[in-house]
Amino acid sequence: MGRTLARGFNIVLAIGALVAVGVGLPPAHAARPIVIGVIAGLSGVNSVVAPAVVQSAALAVDEINAKGGVLGQKIEMATFDDNSGPDGAVKAFNTAIYQRKVNVIIAMETSAARNAGAPIAERAKVPFIYTSFYEGHACGKYLFVNAWVPEQVVPPTINYMDERYKAKRWFAVGSDYAFGRGMIAAAEAFIKQHGGTVVGEEFNPLDQSDWTPILSKVRGAHPDAIIYSTSGGAPNIDLMKQYRAAGFKLPVGSLSIDELTAQKAGQAAQGVYYAADYFTTLDNPENKRFLAAMKRKFGEKLLTPNDLSEPEYDGVYAYAMAVQQAKSTAAEAVIQALPKVAFKGPRGVVQMNKQHHAPLPMYLAQVQADGSSKIIKSYGLVDPGNQCPTLK
Amino acid sequence: MTQFLDIVTFAGELFIVAIGLLLVFGILKIINLAHGAFLVVGSYATVVATRLNWDPWLALLVALAVGIALGALVERSVLRPIAARPLDTILATWGLNIVIVQLITLYFGRQMQFAKSAITGAVTLGGLTYSEYRLILLLIAVAVGAMVTVVMRTTQMGLIARAVIMNEELAQGLGINTRLVRFVTFCLGAGLASLAGALLTPLVSVHPLMGVPWLINAFMLVLVAGVSLGSLAVATLLLGGAQVLVSSYGNPVLGGLTIVILSVVILRFRTPA
Repeated sequence: MGRTLARGFNIVLAIGALVAVGVGLPPAHAARPIVIGVIAGLSGVNSVVAPAVVQSAALAVDEINAKGGVLGQKIEMATFDDNSGPDGAVKAFNTAIYQRKVNVIIAMETSAARNAGAPIAERAKVPFIYTSFYEGHACGKYLFVNAWVPEQVVPPTINYMDERYKAKRWFAVGSDYAFGRGMIAAAEAFIKQHGGTVVGEEFNPLDQSDWTPILSKVRGAHPDAIIYSTSGGAPNIDLMKQYRAAGFKLPVGSLSIDELTAQKAGQAAQGVYYAADYFTTLDNPENKRFLAAMKRKFGEKLLTPNDLSEPEYDGVYAYAMAVQQAKSTAAEAVIQALPKVAFKGPRGVVQMNKQHHAPLPMYLAQVQADGSSKIIKSYGLVDPGNQCPTLK
Repeated sequence: MTQFLDIVTFAGELFIVAIGLLLVFGILKIINLAHGAFLVVGSYATVVATRLNWDPWLALLVALAVGIALGALVERSVLRPIAARPLDTILATWGLNIVIVQLITLYFGRQMQFAKSAITGAVTLGGLTYSEYRLILLLIAVAVGAMVTVVMRTTQMGLIARAVIMNEELAQGLGINTRLVRFVTFCLGAGLASLAGALLTPLVSVHPLMGVPWLINAFMLVLVAGVSLGSLAVATLLLGGAQVLVSSYGNPVLGGLTIVILSVVILRFRTPA
């Protein structure tokens, strides 16, 4: 009796499952939505900024859908956590591409995660728009970048600190992975070209939040100024907190902080100089409209948009424009169109037409006592230089 | 000189993290693998206190209280029923560690959090500038160590505890309520773990998995030190000092492994007492 009952129950379950699947399928005549894979470090070192990236993408998707979508199709967004590292990125890219069948990946990630994920997108022939500033020279037929590279931030930061503080003897501090190493290498090359010396260079593992031994070495080297590059997000705060607590008064240039992280760091980051292509205080109609729309959509939950999160918004628009121009979501057509479209957004007109990279308007800012960022100099449109000579 | 301060303050951090584990190991004869989770709970207690705009010093007491309460709950509901099966307690505390960390992740998310620090400045002593907070942390570690030592040496409670450490069955035979001793010790151990977590928050960012490296280091130190507070202090100074030196003269990646590697080497070559 018990067994018959169990079997009966199994049959009911099976029918239930079939019905559920049937209901879940979209009706055949409705256009399949275009799926955008948003991959970001929702856990790990990038977790301070990653939620702001998801917010940027969500607003762009909403706005585009409100205007009727692209080619009559709605856009959908699927979010994946890459745990800010390569292992997580491999999982996230595989899930996004092979299970969720995304049409494009528009992602802000650590360089470690990007280096692991990009080959997967390349093999699967899925366009990948990378929206995080990074150390440069990541190239691929399907890889496009709409954020800054060292050529766009190193000269403004170093030149300004040199003029202002006569900084000749530099100490370089970084996180021990592709981005930290790449940024510090670019900074050191620039310092040496311009008559400065690097009196010390130290790297800390990405997951190590204690900077004490490195700060002790900085003290021993008696530099004029410090240039550092951790990853984006939390490590900036750890380093600056410990730097302040150790009583240093030297000027600091950062190649990895952003407006939101500076705000979270509060007083610890006071005085830090950094160059970026986006600030909430940018005075242009597109930025004002963007910020107002973000406030309307997220209210109290809004995380301060910053130069790591805003490019995600531009990236979604650039993809939508490329699909519109290509009249197709086919990857080959989209990557042909991507360098040709120019989106006028909060940062100004951004076009990924320089070997899959973008000339960007750059500014130098200094973090204030309350954690806000004050723009002190504007550099106009700065070219990314030769990032991928084999690409157009 | 700065290096010397780096070593003693780092040893202070290690000591305050490991002392709770050592107490529990001495009296309950178990390695409490949930120690790391208790530490994380203490850190999040300060994060919550920051959100509520409480004074950072008050947050330390809150963390201690939360830890003790959690310890009481765990001892009564999980450990007491399986006290006679030491191997099972290791599994149980490890499982508990996972459950607590997952609950924290569910509520707070995986992102890193930051708590307000009571002290952010630096002090200058004889031309040497050093982080004020690290020095105070060292003082707190010394004070906690001294307090526990005094309690163990001079009070009735300490005498009973020492009796339980030496021979639990004999102590029981003499009419000592060993069950109560175990309970109090575990609460205290959990409380100290949470306090350590709270004390670390001004130095490191808080996230659900932050307890793991501390647990591993503390575990190794306790294995090396045995059940004596004095040898724990020596072990933290020697092994912590080695880590600081390797990080400074070698590189920080290798530094992170120093304590674990040295502990294994020491355990391998130490003649059983």
